[in-house]
Amino acid sequence: MPDIAISADKLTRRFGKFTAVDEISFEIPYGAIFGFLGANGAGKSTTIRMLCGILAPTSGNGKVGGFDVQTQPEQIKGVIGYVSQRFSLYSDLNVIENLNFYGRIYGLEGNTLSGRIKEALDLTGLAPFQKRLAGDLSGGMKQKLAVANAILHHPKIIFLDEPTAGLDPLSRRSIWELLYQLAEGGTSLFVTTHYMEEAERCNTIAFISQGKILKIGAPVDLKAGLQGQILEVTCRPLMKASHLFSTLEGVAGVTVYGTTLNLNVTDPPSVEARVRAAAGKEGVQVTSIRSIPASLEDVFSDLDTKNQGGFSSQQLESKKQ
Amino acid sequence: MKIIKAIAYKEIIHILRDRRTLMLIILMPMMQLMIYGYGINTDVKHLSTYVYDQDRTYLSRRLINAFTQSQYFTVTLQANSLQEMYKALDKGSAKAALIIPPNFTGDLLKKKGAQMQMIIDGTDSTPATVALNSSQAIVNAFMQSEKLIPVQVLPIDFRPRLWYNPDLKSTYFMLPGLIGLVLQFLVPMITASAIVREKERGNIEQLLVTPIKPYELILGKILPYIAIGVLIAGSIITVMHLLFVVPIHGSVLTLFFMTLIFLVVCLGIGLWASTVADNQQQASQIVMFFAMPSILLSGFIFPREAMPLWVHHIGYLIPMTYFLKMVRGIILKGLGFMDLIDQVWPLLLMAALVILFSIKRFSKRMT
Repeated sequence: MPDIAISADKLTRRFGKFTAVDEISFEIPYGAIFGFLGANGAGKSTTIRMLCGILAPTSGNGKVGGFDVQTQPEQIKGVIGYVSQRFSLYSDLNVIENLNFYGRIYGLEGNTLSGRIKEALDLTGLAPFQKRLAGDLSGGMKQKLAVANAILHHPKIIFLDEPTAGLDPLSRRSIWELLYQLAEGGTSLFVTTHYMEEAERCNTIAFISQGKILKIGAPVDLKAGLQGQILEVTCRPLMKASHLFSTLEGVAGVTVYGTTLNLNVTDPPSVEARVRAAAGKEGVQVTSIRSIPASLEDVFSDLDTKNQGGFSSQQLESKKQ
Repeated sequence: MKIIKAIAYKEIIHILRDRRTLMLIILMPMMQLMIYGYGINTDVKHLSTYVYDQDRTYLSRRLINAFTQSQYFTVTLQANSLQEMYKALDKGSAKAALIIPPNFTGDLLKKKGAQMQMIIDGTDSTPATVALNSSQAIVNAFMQSEKLIPVQVLPIDFRPRLWYNPDLKSTYFMLPGLIGLVLQFLVPMITASAIVREKERGNIEQLLVTPIKPYELILGKILPYIAIGVLIAGSIITVMHLLFVVPIHGSVLTLFFMTLIFLVVCLGIGLWASTVADNQQQASQIVMFFAMPSILLSGFIFPREAMPLWVHHIGYLIPMTYFLKMVRGIILKGLGFMDLIDQVWPLLLMAALVILFSIKRFSKRMT
């Protein structure tokens, strides 16, 4: 088995004149968690659909589990697991019945099937709820069932489309613990998410906007790229200051964090002087200014400025719950 | 094959858990049977009749008696004036009125040509026609039995006879057709709902990324509904035969086979509706849209022979037209497979077309 689980080489999909996915390329090794980030409509779902073998690419190549997305979509379906964003199992079937059904769809039966179901139930902690109708499960348990369902046939590759959207922090954490366990077992996970702290948990993340991958790399490396460029300004009134500072020379972006502003700047000492001067003139009260390490949110905000109009941090912001 | 079995098994769980559909499947056929068996009876009998007998003789009473004994008319009131009768006809409390003038017997005996009149409410043409014809027959029979006209030897001894349904019972005609009506309504409705439901609830999203092939999904989902259709047809036939005593002259096996062909057509319609509709409500509206002309133009109630030619031709495009001929032919006339070949091939053709077309559409929608 090759080391690369999923690869894309200039993968492109057009719908008429609209290019949903524009020559994206990446490689994901087995055992890695790949975070795919982007606003709604950026091309995330189209990419997943192409890699899952349900949508043919217009051009470019892609391989999933060693199978070609252009020519072997049916083989791909047999070796991947999929957890959709919206709960799409049968709510009028109980946990066991759902697992039984999907297990059989993947050709499992008899003792193998019951063994796999037990294994999946144990892993997800759903064993006590096996007779409960899927529709009566809590949001977190529904997602766990979806994961249990996706691992029945022991796929080496699992696609998860916003698996934690709308879940409480505790459920989100337990889903991620589950994902780590799977990755440790050598499964590669392709995860889309809107949560920054979840993106931090991935081995590699890619930002997609308007069908193009803007940046790709390990979270640490991406943040390191912005080292020494983030100034945290504590000031009042916040919104007025935010607008004011964003017009200053050398400020690439301003992000509001509770009671502080993060300024993405090119030359910290000179910007700091300009900030203080402007604040004094416009009646903004600055309590402190300090240089801080970049967060993924800052990486977003940086991309936003460099890719005006396409990548909107406001849009991503509103997605945070 | 295993995948189809898994889908069919899952579908059966859906059906058993869905109380509303289950009730529909059980209650609708029985309700229709009761309505058409007991309620909608087009046999004209016991027509409420007012009599204004001004003659009041032995002969006039014998005449009234002849009307009553025919069972077509029931004398509900002896009226005392013409006014009273007209009022009753206006109000609808009388459907027919018999007027015998004062000198009826006198004129008869003097061979002067006695007169009498019958007024029939012609609002509803079917019972009116029956009443008109039977009143004629009753009076003719009365004249013969009272020896008021000489017994003649007619140059043509004409003996019309009614075959297949000699008592002209409308249940014999309606109830076999009911199999078609119920299947035509119920089967496409539940099939379309079952498929659209997967779309509506997002289940299809998960199924798409599995190695299921479109034809496996369709077959797996359809098979349980074929079974249900057969059960429905079987229960209607049983109740029809045992409760309403409709004799079954033909082979039950042939009937079963024909029902199966018709079922496939119905399933195809449901499948097609599911590819057009986005939700269950739309699906049932589409099914209704197709079921209505089927009821009206197939000859289920209204004879197709009476329709204008172009409407009559439209009837040939309706699957139920053929199926009705089959069930009525098998149940009432005892026809066999070869007698019905003219109905079998168009229905088979329709089944093949609608299934091929809808599977193609369905596969397209799936990818």
